[in-house]
Formats: sequence, structure tokens, C-alpha cells
Amino acid sequence: MLEGLRAAATGMTAQQQRMDALSNDIANVNTTAYKHERTSFRDLVASPTGLGGAEQVGAGAGAAAKSAGRGWGQGGLQATEQPLDVAIQGDGFLQVKLADGRTALTRSGSLHVDARGRVATSEGSLLQPPVTLPVGTSPSDVQIASDGTVSAQGRPIGRMVLVSVTSPHKLDDASAGVYTTNAASGPPRAAGGDTTLAQGALEASNVDLGDAMVELMAAQRGFQMASQAVRSQDEMLSIANGLKQ
Amino acid sequence: MERGLYIAASGMLAEQARQDLISHDLANASTPGYKADRTTTKSFSEMLLRDASSGQPIGALGLGARIDKQVTDLTPGPLRETGEPLDFAIQGEGFFAVQGKNGVRYTRDGQFQVSARGDLVTTNGDAVLGAGGRPVRVGDDGTVAGNEIGVTQLDAAKRAGENLFTGTARGASKATVRVGALEGSAVDPITTMADMLGSLRAFEAGQRVITTIDATLSKAANQVGAL
Repeated sequence: MLEGLRAAATGMTAQQQRMDALSNDIANVNTTAYKHERTSFRDLVASPTGLGGAEQVGAGAGAAAKSAGRGWGQGGLQATEQPLDVAIQGDGFLQVKLADGRTALTRSGSLHVDARGRVATSEGSLLQPPVTLPVGTSPSDVQIASDGTVSAQGRPIGRMVLVSVTSPHKLDDASAGVYTTNAASGPPRAAGGDTTLAQGALEASNVDLGDAMVELMAAQRGFQMASQAVRSQDEMLSIANGLKQ
Repeated sequence: MERGLYIAASGMLAEQARQDLISHDLANASTPGYKADRTTTKSFSEMLLRDASSGQPIGALGLGARIDKQVTDLTPGPLRETGEPLDFAIQGEGFFAVQGKNGVRYTRDGQFQVSARGDLVTTNGDAVLGAGGRPVRVGDDGTVAGNEIGVTQLDAAKRAGENLFTGTARGASKATVRVGALEGSAVDPITTMADMLGSLRAFEAGQRVITTIDATLSKAANQVGAL
């Protein structure tokens, strides 16, 4: 009896997890290069039902949700006309060095120049390998080619390297929009030739607000159904309790 | 009289087991490729009551019921477009074969990922098997064609948890694999909720029978012979 109560409760927990991920997506509908989160569900193993069923009849233990990484679909490009804004088109990342020395990956191309002329992300992480503007170069003189070559007043001064990993679903989140590689994701390698950079644009979030709202409603209804099952199980317990007057 | 008590109790136990199965179905209303169970309740074999002195038959007596069979309803669920390159849905009958830790298992949950080695795997990390029974390689562009993934016909499919099924493979299926879509859960909320309510009321009726028999027994024990 309590197994059924627990099975129904696991359904509520799983839907709650999905709602959390969706709320996060909706909150980030305007975040540069944000990638929506994916939730996967699985059913939990069955155990015999006890006296009420034959030996081979088993009731499952409910459902569980877990994160299935992010959906890496391309976000739309938003023209900003800022010379140090870059949008990645295709599968790939910019490589940056975090404050603690680790190398990380990001698609958020809102770049700027720090006090020493080095190109850094909006969070202050330097590009890896570094790109430094020569003294006296204004950002408006910088041209970034689609292959990442950076030139100032016609002279090449560095290259923004694009990398990708074999299994982007397994990347760890380091901070907002910044990911670190691990054994499951595979090491960074040079991105394919069809991955390009677009200067003067940013990649928009790939959250589709309509889809996210529909998903949220479905999750809410799923949550309600599971909670009805909890209530029904509770009522059965109360009826069983009423046997002894 | 006492027999009636136990018969009613067996009915309550069967409804309780059914309710557990329904809870599991409702909890999986969003699990991709989930298949709901159908159950059949069967009464225990009946006994023929006979008058001991005359040998005259009195009639049959049932001994209550229990859930006898549990069959997974393999009707395909609705397909949902997701646009993800590594989501796959089977159009028609059959299962994806995956290499589990304890042998080949089958699933209709096509939410796959790519492993660090470049193979197509489930979210649990089990390799998805191709038409030839070998792992499927994900292309450099991060996609896999639908026809590279094997779809197997399965006999006696039995749920094994984690969205997996066991069963006897019976060759390749003619079903096609659609890329960028997932099969939703086949739990029908309306019939499942109706079953839940029906089962709840049947359970309640069983309780009423027991309390009525109990009241009758109480009369027999306390009032017969009282002045």
C-alpha cells in the first residue's frame, strides 16, 4: 500500500524537477547564447504487489527525472553592430581561461577589452589563446573574420580559436553560459570548418517561449495527476482504517 | 460467515494492488516511450458446497479475487516533435536495442546522446545498437540517420524499469525511425483517472461488506440468546 503512495509521490517529484528546469529556461529567454535544459524521465523497477496479485504481477516504483544536458540548437543572431560582439554559427565554443586558471568553453560572445588591451568575456575571463590589441588600437578598428582571425587596421593580430567537444550534453556548468569539459564530454578539439564567427552580432537564447509555456502546463498537469494518485492512495488507507469501528 | 470476511478482504487486496499499478502509470505520464499495464482480475477457483448428510449440492462458493495477469499494452504513444538531432521515435511497432550492463535490453525511449567516444548512447550511458547489432557512430556533424538505428520486433516484452524491456527478439521490424521526435507516454490520463476512481470505490465497497459482516457477527455473538 505504501509502495503505491511512494510511487505517486515520485511522479510529483519528477514533474517538479521538470518545472524547475523550465522556469530556469523561461527566466533566461533573453540571455545571450543561453541553451535550454532538457529533462529525461524513466520508470523505476517493479516489485511484486503482494497478496492482491499473482506472483508474476509487479507494480513499478514510480518515475524519476534527471537532467539530460542542454539542447544545443542554434539560437537566432541579433545584430548589435558592436565590433567586439561575436556570434558563433554552428557547433562550437570560444575557449576562455577562468579566474582560477581552468580552461572553459562559452558561446556567449559579448567581448570587451580590459585595461591591458586583452580581449575578455563580459565576466572578465581572457580568451584562450589570448588576443591582445596593440596599444592605441580602438575596438572599432578591429575586424574579426568568419574563421576567427582578428585584424586591426588590416594587420592580423591574433585568432579567436573555435573548439567543440564530442559530447556537449555532458559538459559541466561552471557559471552562467560557461562550461567545463570532463571525461564524459571528451576533451576540446578544433571545431569543424562549418562553424563560423559573425562579428557585430550576438547569439540569442534558444528557448522558445511558446514551447516552454506548453511544456510547463504539461508538467503542471502531470504534477496534478500524480497528486490525485497520492490523494486516492490516502483515501484507501483511510478506508482500510475504517474497518475497525 | 467468516468465509465472507476473507472473500471481501481478498477483493480489497486486489484493488489495492491495482491502485499501486495505477499510481505507477500516473507517475509516468511524461516518461518517453512508457507503456501502461492492463490487468485482469480473476476469482480463485470456486468450491461446490454439498449437504454432508444428504449429498445434495447447495451451490458454488467463490473464494475472492486477485490480479491474475498483467499485460503491457504496447500501443504506440503520440509522437512529439522536439527538433533535437539525437531524439528518435519509432513509427510503428518495434523497439530500439541497447547494450545494457546485463545484456541486450529494448526501449522505445529515443532520447539519446553521444558518448565521449562518439557512440550513440541512452541517457543512462548504454550503447544503442545499429541494424547489425553494433554500436551506432554519431557523425562529425552530430547527427545520425534514422535508418542506421536498428528496430527489433519483440515477443513477450516485459518491463524491466529504467524505460527498458526484456523479451525475445524476432528479427528486424519494418517500422521507420523518425529523427527529431520523441514518443510520448502512452498513459491515457482520462481512462487512468477513471480506473483509479472505480478501483477506489470498489475498495470502499469491500470495506462496507466487511463492516456489515462484522456487525452481523457481533449480533450473533452478543444478542442471540439475550433476554
